[in-house]
Amino acid sequence: MDGNHEQELEDLELFQKYVADRFSDLLSSSSDEAADSLLSVSWLRKLVDVFLCCEAEFKAVLIMGRDPSQVSKPPLDRLVPEFLDRVVKALDVCNAVSHSVESVRHYQKLAEIAVSAFEQRSIGDGQVRRAKKALNSLMLTLEEKEGSNHKSAERAWSFGRRGATNKDRAAPGQFRSLSWNMAKGWSAAKQIQAMSANLVAPRGAKSSGLASPVYIMSTVMLFVMWALVAAIPCQERNGLSTHFPVPRQLGWAQSMVALQEKIAEEWKKKKEKTRLAGLLEETQRLERLGQSLIEFADSFHFPAEAERLEEMASQVAELADTCKKMEEGLVPLQQQIREV
Amino acid sequence: MGDFRSILPLCEGEQHVIAATQHLVKALGASKNLDDDLRKILSQLDSHLSAMTILSPESRGTGFREVEQQFKWAEEKIRGWESNQSLMWDSDPLEASEYLKAVVEIQTLVEGLPRLSMSGTRKQKELLNRAESILQTAMSRLEEELVHILVKHKQYFELGNMSFQYCGKDVVYDESFVSVEDMRIEEASQRNNSGNESVDCVPDLVHPQVIPHLKSIATVMFASSYDQEFCQAFISVRRDALEEYLVILKVEKFSIEDVLKMDWNCLNFEIQKWIRALNVIIRYLASEKRLCGQVFEDLGFLNPFCFVEISKVSLLHLLNFGDAIAMGTPEPQKLFRLLDMYEVVADNLLYIDTLFSEEAGTCVRIEFHQLLRRLADSARATLFTFGNAIAANASTSPVPRGEIHPLTRYVMNYIKTLPIYCSILNVLLKDQNAAASNPVAELENGLEVSSMAYCPMACHLRSITCILEAKLDSKSKLYKDCALQHIFLMNNYHYMVEKAKSPELKLFFGDEWIREHIVKFKQHATSYERATWSSALSLLRVGSAGSSSTSKTILKDKCRGFIIAFEEVYKSQTGWSIPDPKLREDLQISTSQKVVLAYRNFTGRNSADIGEKYIKYTTDDLEKYILDLFEGSPKSLQRSRSRRN
Repeated sequence: MDGNHEQELEDLELFQKYVADRFSDLLSSSSDEAADSLLSVSWLRKLVDVFLCCEAEFKAVLIMGRDPSQVSKPPLDRLVPEFLDRVVKALDVCNAVSHSVESVRHYQKLAEIAVSAFEQRSIGDGQVRRAKKALNSLMLTLEEKEGSNHKSAERAWSFGRRGATNKDRAAPGQFRSLSWNMAKGWSAAKQIQAMSANLVAPRGAKSSGLASPVYIMSTVMLFVMWALVAAIPCQERNGLSTHFPVPRQLGWAQSMVALQEKIAEEWKKKKEKTRLAGLLEETQRLERLGQSLIEFADSFHFPAEAERLEEMASQVAELADTCKKMEEGLVPLQQQIREV
Repeated sequence: MGDFRSILPLCEGEQHVIAATQHLVKALGASKNLDDDLRKILSQLDSHLSAMTILSPESRGTGFREVEQQFKWAEEKIRGWESNQSLMWDSDPLEASEYLKAVVEIQTLVEGLPRLSMSGTRKQKELLNRAESILQTAMSRLEEELVHILVKHKQYFELGNMSFQYCGKDVVYDESFVSVEDMRIEEASQRNNSGNESVDCVPDLVHPQVIPHLKSIATVMFASSYDQEFCQAFISVRRDALEEYLVILKVEKFSIEDVLKMDWNCLNFEIQKWIRALNVIIRYLASEKRLCGQVFEDLGFLNPFCFVEISKVSLLHLLNFGDAIAMGTPEPQKLFRLLDMYEVVADNLLYIDTLFSEEAGTCVRIEFHQLLRRLADSARATLFTFGNAIAANASTSPVPRGEIHPLTRYVMNYIKTLPIYCSILNVLLKDQNAAASNPVAELENGLEVSSMAYCPMACHLRSITCILEAKLDSKSKLYKDCALQHIFLMNNYHYMVEKAKSPELKLFFGDEWIREHIVKFKQHATSYERATWSSALSLLRVGSAGSSSTSKTILKDKCRGFIIAFEEVYKSQTGWSIPDPKLREDLQISTSQKVVLAYRNFTGRNSADIGEKYIKYTTDDLEKYILDLFEGSPKSLQRSRSRRN
């Protein structure tokens, strides 16, 4: 039995080290400017990837020479059902997130329209209006996402309008089907909170056997889900708590904690402003650029002055770039999430 | 009105290019190996090129003025509609086509002018600007029109005979087995036949009359490179329509957690709704695809993409529900619904593959195939859980009166329903079929009857009954009385055989099995008789002819012993029960033959010696009392009669 125990400890250590390594990779890649910045699409893809790998390792740890009768003894008989419960909640979150990725793709398409409008050789009124219409819809959906549910009412358009036409208004009901795809009353924040309940590090004697790996896996899962929900707007994110218990003293958790702190910071910053369209970096950029381009469009007057044109051109290029990245990244991200 | 194209001059270099391209097109067109798409593209290109060459170079000055005038005409047309909010195509189709013509002209202008604007005057640039501006206005308006048309002329999708059969009862797996009777299980497995409507009948989702309008809008918008807007608007509206339809079908959205926590009755109902919805949606999507095909006919490559976008989200919902069900814990009562779900997905798989055959639809196809696999795994797991549940059944109190154990009833009735899913089960169990199947020995009358008895499902059924038999054997040990054990086993085996002989199961169990088991219960009957009567009957055995040596006392003792034994048996065994009347009768007759005969012989031979006092009962009496046996109501013979003298 002793030999078994040692084996277990060894497995556990390996697993811990594995987790620690992957997460420190993530951390370093997020601070490295050249690579993916925090909460961008490619970073998220890496995150999901890390999760899948940790899961595979976890399965390996589970299978290797474990005594199945252990499962029915305490503390595992409580831990395992809890774990399974968390897994189910995580799957639901994944579903919600992948639906939301759909709407992010929608943003991307709107932005693309604006880009193609601005990229014409000579910008005329028509193009500008077209771009503005697209950008207005974009802003509207970004705002609507975080607002209340099921509001497809006509909104009073306070965005600047050219002339007396209200032609630039996209039909408000257009985006009904993309919103709130989960069951009524389902709340991402609540799910995450529920997941974090009872997540307690096993101490002392209890930390032998499977309890520890289960705990580690649960924490990893919780973190990944939390990050995904923070980044991509899903149903009911209000009240997403920024802190959850990750004991700092555990070595493998260091990177995770650092990442968590960074994300929490971003979250707080966003909370100051009114719009919370998700911390996904690309969407933030879209928002920012969209706003400034709208301002530009508002003040547009044919023919345009050269400097303004240049200024705007650089913004447009940035927008185009963002769109491209999104294009490349979003669909694979969706697929990855479904793999989970 | 004149055509802008006739006015815009064409420079010489461009003319050369156009001529060269036309040659190329002609050369390609002559090749025989082209498919239809390519031919279409070539012919379009050809017509476009020829249009471009019908240009007479005019002097710039007058040309420009004419351009301006024509532009003004078009502009007015377009602006004229701005104030009018009513639906263009509804109010006046002719006007609508005029509108489109105007748009086309502006379009050509926009395309043609940039060539001028390179070296163009300020006026030309302004004209271009105005043209673009008015074009945008027109596009916006067209987008709105598109949405209006799609919404207004939406047709309700209705298939022929879509009746929803809800089956309420189910074989409930209840640990106490108290409530299980021989239920009418036919109800529990009504298969929903409404999905067998062929896909050839494809109802229209949008009134066919407006489709040309949609196409014309599409052509115009695509030509002005406003294709993205068009697609978006189209996709959004159609997506909403699909969502609406799902609401009509009362398909609700559940999270996985909800599904796993739902109680069985609700879940049962939801699954049936799901099955119906899936069948209907596939047909709906066939119509949708046709609509997309019609609208995007000449615009080629975007068609599959739009279709997939429209349908993806809703289909994923349905698939998620299916996945959630497949994830649930395998319980025997879920089996039939799982099999139903498997069936509906398997049936529709071909349609799905056709609908989503292009690359854009790959993810949907993959998801469907995965769902099918998961459902198969879940169904198999449930089947095996069933077997395990039987083996694990651990009630410790024996069934009173030696009757049929509720487990037997439950298992046999459950099994009786399975043949309905024979084809599915055979597919599912195909790889699991171990060497348990009997070698195909002699065929019954040379017929292929036994081949059915060897299909995977039949083997599985027999393995289930095998488990049941083992369980029954162990349960019989709970009885202290050996004879009762045999009665119990006889009852149960007989019941099994009766059920196996029913038309649903007969072919699967095969004659061989039935025969074997008939032998078994007959053996138990014999064992019973031996256990009960052998000691009593041994008392009645008359010795050899030296009867005088046998003293009267011994005879009287023997007689009395027999009577007591008989009364004991009567007391205990009238309380036992053999539910099947024929079996009961058979056993009574057989008992009667042995016992009464022996008694008659004994008393007949020795009546003189024993004396009437001891011969309490006549043979007729005995016969009568034997008929009381196994009735299930305990009686007693002692003190019930007055003593005869």
